[in-house]
Amino acid sequence: MAQKTGKAMVVGAGISGIRAALDLAETGYGVTLIDRAPHIGGILSQLDNQFPTNHCGMCKMLPLIERDQSSQFCLRKGLFHENIDIMLNTQIIDVDGEPGKFSVALQTKPTWVDPEQCMGCGACVDVCPVDVPDEFNEGLSMRKAIYLPVPHNIPNTYVIDTAACTNCRECEKACPTEAIQLAFEKRKVFDILVVDDELIVRDSLKEWLSEDGFSVETASSGPDALKKLAQKRFNLMLTDIKMPGMDGVTLLTKALETDPELCVLMMTAYATVETAVEAMKIGARDYLMKPFDPEKMLAKVVELYEARESGNLTTLDVGSLVFCGGTEYYNPASGKNVYGYGDVPHVVTNLELERIFSGTGPSKGFLTRPLDGKPIEKIAWLQCVGSRDLQCDADFCSSVCCMIAIKEALLAKELGGAHVDTILYYMDMRSYGKSFQRYRDAAESEHHVKFERARVHTVSSDSITGDPVIRYVRTDGSIQKETFDLVVLSVGQRPSPGNQQISTLMDVPLNHWGFVETEPFSPAVTEKAGVVVGGSFSGLKDISESVIHASAAAIEASRVMHATGGSLAVEPESESELRDVAREDPRILVAVCTCRGSLLTQDDADRWSHRLARDPVVERVVFLEQGCTKTGWEELMATARETAVNRVLLAACQPYLFINNLKEMSRELLLDPALLDVVDIRLPRQSPSVESLPNATAGDSPENAGLEPRDLHDDDQQFSAIAMTLSRLKNADPLPMAFLENHRQALVVGGGIAGMYASLAIADHGFPVALVEREETLGGNLAWLNHTIEGHSMTAQLEETLQKVENHPLVDVHPGSTITASFGEVGDFYTTVTDAVGASRTIQHATVILATGGSEAGTQSYGYGDHPAVITQKELESRLGKAEFETDDLRSVVMIQCVDSREEPRNYCSRVCCPTSLKHALKLKEIDPGIAVYILYRDMMTPGFVERYFTKAREKGIFFIQYDPDNKPGLVMPAASQDPLYVSIVDPLLDRLLEIRADLLVLATGIVPQLPPGLAALFGAQIDQDGFFQEADAKWRPVDALKEGVFACGIALSPRSVPDAVASAQAAAQHSLKILSRKRLPAGKIVSTVRDSICSRCERCVDTCPYGARSLDINNDRILVNPVMCQGCGDCAAVCPNGAALVQGFVDRQVLDMIDAALN
Amino acid sequence: MSKFEPTIVAFFCNWCTYTAADLAGTSRLSYPPNIKIIRMMCSGMVDPKYVIKALLEGADGVIVSGCNPGDCHYINGNYKARRRIKLLKEILSRFGFEPERLRLTWIAASDGVLLAEIMQKMVEQIKALGPSQAKMKMVI
Repeated sequence: MAQKTGKAMVVGAGISGIRAALDLAETGYGVTLIDRAPHIGGILSQLDNQFPTNHCGMCKMLPLIERDQSSQFCLRKGLFHENIDIMLNTQIIDVDGEPGKFSVALQTKPTWVDPEQCMGCGACVDVCPVDVPDEFNEGLSMRKAIYLPVPHNIPNTYVIDTAACTNCRECEKACPTEAIQLAFEKRKVFDILVVDDELIVRDSLKEWLSEDGFSVETASSGPDALKKLAQKRFNLMLTDIKMPGMDGVTLLTKALETDPELCVLMMTAYATVETAVEAMKIGARDYLMKPFDPEKMLAKVVELYEARESGNLTTLDVGSLVFCGGTEYYNPASGKNVYGYGDVPHVVTNLELERIFSGTGPSKGFLTRPLDGKPIEKIAWLQCVGSRDLQCDADFCSSVCCMIAIKEALLAKELGGAHVDTILYYMDMRSYGKSFQRYRDAAESEHHVKFERARVHTVSSDSITGDPVIRYVRTDGSIQKETFDLVVLSVGQRPSPGNQQISTLMDVPLNHWGFVETEPFSPAVTEKAGVVVGGSFSGLKDISESVIHASAAAIEASRVMHATGGSLAVEPESESELRDVAREDPRILVAVCTCRGSLLTQDDADRWSHRLARDPVVERVVFLEQGCTKTGWEELMATARETAVNRVLLAACQPYLFINNLKEMSRELLLDPALLDVVDIRLPRQSPSVESLPNATAGDSPENAGLEPRDLHDDDQQFSAIAMTLSRLKNADPLPMAFLENHRQALVVGGGIAGMYASLAIADHGFPVALVEREETLGGNLAWLNHTIEGHSMTAQLEETLQKVENHPLVDVHPGSTITASFGEVGDFYTTVTDAVGASRTIQHATVILATGGSEAGTQSYGYGDHPAVITQKELESRLGKAEFETDDLRSVVMIQCVDSREEPRNYCSRVCCPTSLKHALKLKEIDPGIAVYILYRDMMTPGFVERYFTKAREKGIFFIQYDPDNKPGLVMPAASQDPLYVSIVDPLLDRLLEIRADLLVLATGIVPQLPPGLAALFGAQIDQDGFFQEADAKWRPVDALKEGVFACGIALSPRSVPDAVASAQAAAQHSLKILSRKRLPAGKIVSTVRDSICSRCERCVDTCPYGARSLDINNDRILVNPVMCQGCGDCAAVCPNGAALVQGFVDRQVLDMIDAALN
Repeated sequence: MSKFEPTIVAFFCNWCTYTAADLAGTSRLSYPPNIKIIRMMCSGMVDPKYVIKALLEGADGVIVSGCNPGDCHYINGNYKARRRIKLLKEILSRFGFEPERLRLTWIAASDGVLLAEIMQKMVEQIKALGPSQAKMKMVI
């Protein structure tokens, strides 16, 4: 139980928002997580399958320590956490105050459906006459005006799209629980004043708005409007900006003097957008661009109306704000629309394709075209649509589309069969992340996904079949034409509208493209103190990077709160002793909610009562009218107290509604939560005769709505559900909650930039850190790096960080030392550190962060070592760093990328070499524009905003020649070492062999890790085939080891740039803090135990445990379970030959009884 | 025989398949009422004796379903389930049951449609196989 001592707000509940919120909540802060959408999950709610497993795994993000604080079910379904308040349909209106104490005004849009009343029966959907494109399916299917935003979410409440709603009120009538309250007639009292000098504008606005139920008056000029405003109070004024006499801005100022509450919408032509933005600073609420679409105008007016109507303006005081606003995606129909999106049928975006794949999508999980149902057998992906395209001002790479396209190609083959023909048309295949290259290679060699380096110029439609036809030019110059079943546009990122809002509200700078600009070495923080950003808000990221950056944002937010006095320590609440019922016979109170007859009829109730009472453990059966209401609950509590039962079973619907109630009940009755259970008896109506399943979907079968009187069969199902839960409950025998000691110190191995940042982040929260570095000095690779490609000085950054580390009282640096021994588990590690003279010290610590870094790989390729002109990029970096760098003899420099890398055995991209080569090439050009620089590359890996340096390099006249691994550049070695060297390469565009003189041949050899396998093994961490740290999960837990309490960051994880290393360091520190912030480590409720008397010490359970939670205690000859590390998976119980391994809540007696109950 | 409605015991993992069953419910997809769902934390937790017990107690079929390979919330429980079920199928005939009465599947959280389809097929398959002889034999 956490005591909330600091409060944070996370804006945006996508994957990074969830990560940041969980991170903060797990360290004990109270978090408010808001999202303007009616559901959490952001874009991931639409994506079912993720690289590299091509499935999901999001639930792995849920807390591992004290996991019962949060929901223990699929995260796509929903999230509950004791310390997180989730506010949906909510956005920020205003922010006041300063870091440590912000006052945030929030506005919640009314949904018109009471979530407490709605039981998700869907009767409203059946009667709604409106059909609009469903945004969840990217418009590929239709939905009603009342709908479920995400089909699998809980709370599973319907929402009304008021912009589409025609106010027929059929749903209101159809709702059996009176959950829908449209309150449409209230629009009449919402007075709107329209001010415009043009009659036609005034009249059409009046017509549109009146049609939608609003009261509208008009004024033809500023003075006329002021007169009307003086006579009567209006709720909203829409005013033109350019009007003769008094302009809109003057009118706005004057109108606000009379009525400061007045809501004003500016109407502007494109030319005066800036004026409109100015007007917003004076006090206008928003602006509309002329000529406007009536739908959009109405949507905006309705939004303002609803804001006022709901009165749901909340003000919250929080210590810190984390912005995880995500991104938008390029609309390919905008601009020149060269690919005919929207015009040519069967041209879809990559997001739409994800929906086509989905079981909840328009094709119900079959690989068919949504438009005509034709099976899809040939698909083309066109990469870089709206990215890497100067024509649409997108001089950036969107970083994730290449891997998405490969994943989609594989999914298409999985879904449609191996014969499905998949071709990716790309410029550079950016497989720069960990394991990306091998995934790409496997796609090509094993699954036969085709890769074609070409930019498609035209997409048209076959005049007979209607299939899309693409035309493109091959690198050899030949024009190709090919027909497909589906053409997929891999659309790029665009800033989310939140960027502009945050920039205006918080005065945060945006970059050229409108994304939030972050600090060069701390990607989570902005120039503005206290404003931290996570995830894709500052540029599109894949899941693993998003969660890393979100955790980095969380720790930065935590720092702000901690520095301003918000304590981080989680104090265990003084819990009253729970009743020990182990020796009592089970006496169970069974409470059944009839939901006013909709769950259970009186006849059923009588029969049930009789049947249940037959079981001697059932003390009493009560039937509640509505268990979810306050009265209903109090009735139940009263009975529970009166009967003094030792177990309670509630049969109702929507079990998650009772999460908090059950906690309260547990506290009041002093019963372990495992002795209280809720069973869902609103079962889906099941029918034995379903004709064809793929077509039997929501809305098709109103007779299935589940509200008619139930037949015997249904009742049986419900009863069986109760009987099964009863069997589990009566055999429940919970153990008291276990706690382990926690030695609240961290150990960081490696004193490079990542190790230093991780140490500082932890020490800034008041916990001691031991920082062990092999070398005599700290700094790692920053010692030889000069500046970043953006031009920021690494030397200065290193100096600053070193000072902080040396001056921090809580960071204990052990230079020239190594780890010689370690044992123990989370909270209780003992590690021996030995220094250069052989003196040893043992450190007791709770967590360890491996920040061992990496170094430039050595090479013997391309004559390295045989000729003085052949050097590596690292050597060039240090030469360029010297003031006396001579360029006189340097007429031609050749750089070769991917030397020995991106092919076995080092089949991974080192990510930093392409930007480094560009940096050096540009530097050479800057020193002497006369030097010819050639970069021989396989794929230029310049993800994100680094792309602009690739463009810049080409502008500066640097030559780029692409080569394939089976046709590598050759070397013409001169006889004498003073003679010039020549590099030969086939230029694919010229289709000719070139020989290029190389006064300097610079090799980009990539990065190798420096994580000794022995060191990793000491801490129970694993390393991957390339020697990098093996993370617990590539996407969802990218800095954690499987063994609890062990983390890694920086290059130890995989090659990465300095800012990315810093982000991962902060993420590792944040995850470490989750453990350090607890005085004692609490275990979960579902954990395994051992019955020593029947255990044969065969140790099978020790071998099978994926978390290393079991061990053999040789001294006492017994198997030990670490209850904090145990996650309750039950592998041990299934593998134990004697039934000596038990999982609480799932012991044999419970499961076997449940099987009996199911079959009787 | 035409009236035979088999009873099938389903061990669903808490994370993926149980969610899919929920989704099938909220999407109002119909699947046969013959399925009795027992929620387990992981498919790797399903002890072979549970399967045998269910069959001996009169279940006409047993289905075990977990997360897709690579997606197990508990890292690799589903792989362990796969090995275990394969072995179990080998020995099932010695208990007098057709191996077809036991099925292992992977159903992801968003695959409500797939779940309904698999359950439907399983029921059809068991119907074709006829009622389990376990109870009858035990009576004898």
